[in-house]
Amino acid sequence: MSGAASAGLSEQQARAPMPVPSGADAALARTDPHKLLMGFFISSESFFFLSLIVTYITFHGATGPQAKDVLDVPLTGLFSIALFASSGTLYLAERGMHRGNRAQLRLWLLVTIALGAIFIAGQAYEYHHLIDEGVTISSGLFGTTFFTLTGFHGLHVIIGLVALSILAALTFAGDFDEGNEMPLTTAGLYWHFVDAVWVVVFSVVYLWTLVS
Amino acid sequence: MRVGRKGLMHRRRRWGAIALIVAAGLLAWPATVGAEANPMFDPQSGRARAVVDLTWVVLFFVALVFIIAEGLLIFALVRYRHRGEAGEPRQTFGNRRLEITWTAIPIVILIFVFILTVRAMRVIAAPPAGGDALNVTLIGHQWWWEYRYPDLGIVTANELHIPAGKTVHLQLESADVIHDFWVPQLGRKMDVVPGKINSIYVQSDNPGVFDGACAEYCGTQHAWMRIKVIADSPADFDQWVQAQKATGAQPASPDALAGRGIFLSSAGNCASCHTINGTANLANVGPDLTHVGSRTTIGAGVLTNTSDNMARWLTNPQQVKPGNLMPDLRLTPDEVRALTAYLESLK
Amino acid sequence: MTVELTGQEGLRPRARTPGDVLLLRWLATVDHKQIGIMYLMGAVFFFLIGGVEALLIRIQLAQPNATVLSPEVYNQIFTMHGTTMIFLAVMPLLAGFVNYFVPLMIGANDMAFPRLNAFSLWLFIFGGLLLNFSFLTGHAPDIGWFAYAPLTEQPYALSNGVNYWILGPLVASVGTILTALNVIVTILTMRAPGMTLTKVPLFVWMSLGQAILIIYAFPPLTASQAMLLLDRELGAHFFDPAAGGSPVLWQHLFWFFGHPEVYIMILPAWGMISELIPVFSRKPIFGYPFVAASTVAIVFLSMTVWAHHMFAVGMGDLADGFFAAASFSIAVPTGVKVWNWIFTMIGGRLRFTTSMLFAIGFIAMFVMGGLTGVMVAVVPFDQQVTDTYFLVAHFHYVLFGGSLLAILAGAYYWFPKMTGRLLDERLGKWHFWTTLIGFNMTFFPMHILGIIGMPRRVYTYPNLPGWGEINLFETLGTFLLTISVLIFLWNLWHSLRNGEVAGDDPWDAWTLEWATTSPPPPHNFDHVPPVRSRRPLWDLKHPEDPDWRHGE
Ligand code: HEA
Ligand code: HEA
Ligand code: HEC
Ligand code: CUA
Ligand SMILES: [Cu+2]
Repeated sequence: MSGAASAGLSEQQARAPMPVPSGADAALARTDPHKLLMGFFISSESFFFLSLIVTYITFHGATGPQAKDVLDVPLTGLFSIALFASSGTLYLAERGMHRGNRAQLRLWLLVTIALGAIFIAGQAYEYHHLIDEGVTISSGLFGTTFFTLTGFHGLHVIIGLVALSILAALTFAGDFDEGNEMPLTTAGLYWHFVDAVWVVVFSVVYLWTLVS
Repeated sequence: MRVGRKGLMHRRRRWGAIALIVAAGLLAWPATVGAEANPMFDPQSGRARAVVDLTWVVLFFVALVFIIAEGLLIFALVRYRHRGEAGEPRQTFGNRRLEITWTAIPIVILIFVFILTVRAMRVIAAPPAGGDALNVTLIGHQWWWEYRYPDLGIVTANELHIPAGKTVHLQLESADVIHDFWVPQLGRKMDVVPGKINSIYVQSDNPGVFDGACAEYCGTQHAWMRIKVIADSPADFDQWVQAQKATGAQPASPDALAGRGIFLSSAGNCASCHTINGTANLANVGPDLTHVGSRTTIGAGVLTNTSDNMARWLTNPQQVKPGNLMPDLRLTPDEVRALTAYLESLK
Repeated sequence: MTVELTGQEGLRPRARTPGDVLLLRWLATVDHKQIGIMYLMGAVFFFLIGGVEALLIRIQLAQPNATVLSPEVYNQIFTMHGTTMIFLAVMPLLAGFVNYFVPLMIGANDMAFPRLNAFSLWLFIFGGLLLNFSFLTGHAPDIGWFAYAPLTEQPYALSNGVNYWILGPLVASVGTILTALNVIVTILTMRAPGMTLTKVPLFVWMSLGQAILIIYAFPPLTASQAMLLLDRELGAHFFDPAAGGSPVLWQHLFWFFGHPEVYIMILPAWGMISELIPVFSRKPIFGYPFVAASTVAIVFLSMTVWAHHMFAVGMGDLADGFFAAASFSIAVPTGVKVWNWIFTMIGGRLRFTTSMLFAIGFIAMFVMGGLTGVMVAVVPFDQQVTDTYFLVAHFHYVLFGGSLLAILAGAYYWFPKMTGRLLDERLGKWHFWTTLIGFNMTFFPMHILGIIGMPRRVYTYPNLPGWGEINLFETLGTFLLTISVLIFLWNLWHSLRNGEVAGDDPWDAWTLEWATTSPPPPHNFDHVPPVRSRRPLWDLKHPEDPDWRHGE
């Protein structure tokens, strides 16, 4: 301990035991800061979506056209499966990365992006259809809350797609060959989160129409 | 330490003490000024009294904690200030028993206060025994109050008449933004929320006139959205009801007659916003003027109701109450005189 | 001191870079200390704006039926005063100290994400300017700092003021969230060896609590501001009662943010007090584990009390009772802190430096504000005094008497570390006494004003018995406060150039920031002393009686 000695420590003090972190403290201190940042960011974002979801629920059944009258649950369900599947394919991509299998990484990353894009296309189609039927953000409380909630979610998916596309491009440029797994696992955390939010949104907005 | 220059410190401490005493004196003074008229501590009904009784208990405990905390603080300052002793004091790190004590005692106090709080809340919200209450609907407007007595067929503004000794069930609605009905002597305030119908019970045991105000910020003229509640003896109240039920008085003087003409004409355009029962029954943008002459204020408290003030209001309401929703109608002095005569005759 | 850059920059050959120009060196910095100082300077700037607004408020209210300000202008001024003081003065003042001292106190050389940190700073500056640009349009927001709908909706607020109120704070709060994330990661991953989470200085601990509150409280604000913008600009109906929307929903969303926000504004301030009371009492903090644990309790509880701001809305006795009970319960852990501070002083040898005076003033005033807080948590009492000057008194006692006095205590304590020079003690004492007296003259009488019936947010008032006199008295207090602010500004200016040279450790203190030079070099430490207890420097200075031997 050269530092301790130069600070004028007594012999006895320099030998005193250093406290060692334990439990969660130690685990956190070992975590990659980027992943930690993303983890807390996600938990923060979940309060954003919670606000929108609570708002949606508050106005459930208010006047104007209703979810059950205008939503095409099976169709959106289909597109949702694409999004849910993309979490699995991203997992496969990450597995490929762990194993150093570049081909697997690239393949599944591209599939993930494609599935995300399908979901967004589905949402665009759905919006177009609804607006044609006169359901807009200003047409009533269902429109207001529906477009805001699903719109903000769609925005997050798009941001995720941009991030994944950049990473894919870098992969093809050979950037993650030396085992730098941080960028993809961090972006992956975000993607899984966006996916998980859709589980809740899909249940609240679409599946709810089936029970009532 | 760099601040051990002792003599200097000493002088400054005395200075500080003098300053503190002066400050304490200055602070005590507004308390006496305020004591002259203190509506909240002059409750007029059981519901309002429940608040005051609770307040005294809360005040007692809060004062107790205040004295203990500030007392300990001052004790520490006086007893443990550095007097030039060498070295460091004994290093102590805490005391579990003390921690438990000062966690437990406040918990006990707060549970006690909470029980009293809930009891008072129930007294305040309870309907009158026998369920016998006079229904009044209040509608908050930017920046005046409308009162409707559905059972009596009366509509009036800004001044709420109630029969002393009888409970009034006040239903609160808003025509625009959030307002708040607050008359301290009669008890709790309640927000007036658009799209949400609230109600409270209001009562005054004895006749009297009670001041209040809109207590939720509602825009430009929130300051002049004051309330007057007039509790009449039952006989006076009946008389007032009879007078209010009558249609607007017919003009008796030539001036008043001319005034009514202007009121109805397109020059004044008054009738497009105001109702005078029996004369112009359409509009509800501004206060009902059927018996405006019988009210004591103009513009929700901004002026007392005298002929001069009425003329001032009509000459330019925007100067009297800037930003209010009655435009300056650019009336000539003659028109103002005529209108004033007419409106003041509407007793 | 060697002023080499560390990390990547140090590897590159140094060409002539923008960094060679002093101003640009500041503007382009990613160093947490420079960022901290820029937060402080920005915050002081906005504090002066908010203060001038306060002065205008008090001048208008000095007499009944006054016409100094028109109602329209008054309403803009009080809205901007509250919004500015909260988002652009107190929060960034705290952010400045957190930025500067959290890395130093944990023995780190910077924040975990320096560039993100700089980005947050500029979001704050930009958001603050954006909000204040609204004055140039002639229509600053006039909706109160909590912007109750539907007054903020199209038919009632046609000017762009509301949009500025949405966008300015929204930009600033994105910065706030990013800083909070940065602080969390920094504290969790960058502590010096030996500094376990149970050994971090309390300022760091409470900054962690603040950061956690920020990341959960701000997103609902952002969400509700987004909804309001959609209502206003795209015809959505969230808060528009005419179309079935709910003004009460706005209140729930806003206060779900708004109440934690008030603890966000006090937690690091408590942290400062918890650092400097021990140093000037020459004793370790009394009951560290209890002070730390009470912080955790407060962080959780403060997310359960929001609707105590809505006791007049007509939520019903059940909801009112629940939120009253939750609010009461927060008094207990807060009390734990107060008692521990006082018992840190008991048995000590108190040094009445200006810093300590402000800390003592803080305790005295905060207790007052906290107790009126408990009073307004008593539902029936609140239903009398809510939206009156009693409440204005409550929150100025906790915000000014609390947060701001603590910040001033921290300023006197840490100024020497940041600049290498001590603030002048003689001016400091003048500053303290004028502040304390002016503050109490201004705000104590407001309790009485509220109880005798004066609503808040009124641009003028009728000449009722006592009202004029009390208001005039308060305004005189504000003039004294103005003098106190001027003394402080002079002290900063004067001491920066002529102040006594501080040395590394002027207060003989115990946390790591005092183990480096004043001001610290860019990389903070040449070496970090070993951390075996909560007071590493005490251990170094007192090898015969180190804290770790007491198991602390
Ligand atoms: C720093 C900011 C801060 C802090 C710390 C607090 C602390 C508290 N506040 Fe305050 N509050 C505000 C800032 C703050 N407040 C603001 C800005 C508003 C108004 C917003 C607006 O409308 O514009 C507000 C409004 C406000 C209201 C809404 C009133 C209304 O709108 O009508 C309520 C109601 O419950 C409340 C309660 C409390 C309570 C119970 C505490 C407690 O945390 C206090 C705890 C502390 C103590 C109690 C003192 C020490 C304790 C002891 C010595 C132990 C023993 C104590 C007892 C046994 C009682 N506050
Ligand atoms: C931390 C927050 C904070 C701080 C420090 C203050 C400080 C002050 N506040 Fe503030 N106040 C709020 C937060 C704060 N306030 C909030 C949140 C509201 C609610 C708003 C709302 O209802 O929406 C409010 C509302 C409020 C009101 C109620 C308005 C109303 O309801 O109508 C009043 C009235 O007196 C007031 C007064 C003051 C005064 C006199 C000070 C003084 O302490 C200020 C002292 C400072 C100065 C006097 C500045 C000195 C200036 C100079 C020295 C000039 C130098 C100039 C240059 C160099 C250019 N405040
Ligand atoms: C555009 C609508 C409008 C028109 C036209 C209008 N008023 Fe008004 N008037 C109002 C409103 C709104 C108020 C309430 C102002 C306030 O107190 O904020 C009011 C208030 C009043 C009051 C005070 C009532 C009280 O009880 O306080 C009188 C008297 C009055 N108007 C008379 C008139 C006369 C006479 C005319 C025609 C010359 C007229 N008004 C034209 C809207 C109108
Ligand atoms: Cu109506 Cu304030
Ligand atoms: Cu609160």
